Amino acid sequence: MMIQFLAAFIGTAAFALLFGVEKEYYFYCGLIGGIGRIFYVWLTGSFAITESTFFTTLVIIFLSRFFAVRKKCPSTIFVVSGILPLVPGAGIYWMAYYFVINKIELASKNGFSALKIAVAIVLGIVFIFELPQKIFTIGLKENR
Amino acid sequence: MKENEREVLNAAVMAGRILLESGAEIFRVEDTMGRMIKKYGIESSSSVVFSNALFITSGNEKEKYFAKVMHIPISASRLDKVAAINQLSREIEANGYPISEVKEKLYEIQNMPQKPEIFRILASGIGSGCFCYLFAGNLADCLAAFLAGCILYAYIIFISNRYLSKMVANITGSALVTLLALLLYHFFVGDHLNQMVIGSIIPLLPGVSFTNSIREFAEGDYISGSVRLLDALLVIFSIAIGVGLVFSIYNRLTGGGML
Repeated sequence: MMIQFLAAFIGTAAFALLFGVEKEYYFYCGLIGGIGRIFYVWLTGSFAITESTFFTTLVIIFLSRFFAVRKKCPSTIFVVSGILPLVPGAGIYWMAYYFVINKIELASKNGFSALKIAVAIVLGIVFIFELPQKIFTIGLKENR
Repeated sequence: MKENEREVLNAAVMAGRILLESGAEIFRVEDTMGRMIKKYGIESSSSVVFSNALFITSGNEKEKYFAKVMHIPISASRLDKVAAINQLSREIEANGYPISEVKEKLYEIQNMPQKPEIFRILASGIGSGCFCYLFAGNLADCLAAFLAGCILYAYIIFISNRYLSKMVANITGSALVTLLALLLYHFFVGDHLNQMVIGSIIPLLPGVSFTNSIREFAEGDYISGSVRLLDALLVIFSIAIGVGLVFSIYNRLTGGGML
């Protein structure tokens, strides 16, 4: 579990650098990626992948907005790098793979499951961004 | 005073352009420009922003007419610039700089240096290695994904960003990664071919366009949302085509037994 956290932490922070994020935010990007990964692993124990992805996205976007308010920066910085571990890169790969070896049924199954995961991420992002900004400024005196 | 208005609008357009080309969401661009213009006392301005274009006009009985149309090609995401403009916008709101100072700061942000190439190449490798681990690869696979990720990003920086269109760049990029993974798998290091390829195609995934397109749709901005969604889908299909291309050639060469 610890190694999973670290791998997600470092991986997310590394991709944050590729998106041009400033140094001071690497730690938070990594933290969000790592926490997201732990939630994901924990949830996949009892839920299907689509539901796990949805709930993990909720956590990631919530944390992103939380840190964005506290660090006074656009939440995009954290959202983009934080959801990267959830993006169905593997599903896309398996789709191409099975397509090539002529197992069309498996290819479409994997393509469709990648689509379901993408929709779960979409719903997670939309729901949390609908929350009013007030929730995130609780405990911050200067914003009152 | 008249000249000052022109300066303000020009500065707002410049801020909008930097935001849009660095990968900010449409509503952020509109909001930032609107706040800046209001802050300097221009009432009659209105603007329309699309994912690759920006239109702004102002003018009525009291204020001078001004119009600007700008085409903004989609380029690599620079979230540091988005954060910097956001910071500048907060400072303007709080302190109210003179417009000449705002312009200077905008030029500074526009010329912000990118991270050194070697850092970006290493980051791509490290990211690929870590994600390979998350997709159930072992340490040898991660090492292979690290190497493939580094070479992929060097290819992106030095060749595809300079000479190739987006689609060709992604197809050749993912084909290159798959080829590298195959070579590493057979001759050097790595035990699970699939995990190696999955880890090292992650740097190609369209994270920013995908996230932005969702935000755009949620804000009711369907045109920009669709453009960005199409952009993300095109990249994903290009990646799949690149992987499939190399695998089908490999499959042909080895007689179908190796995959």
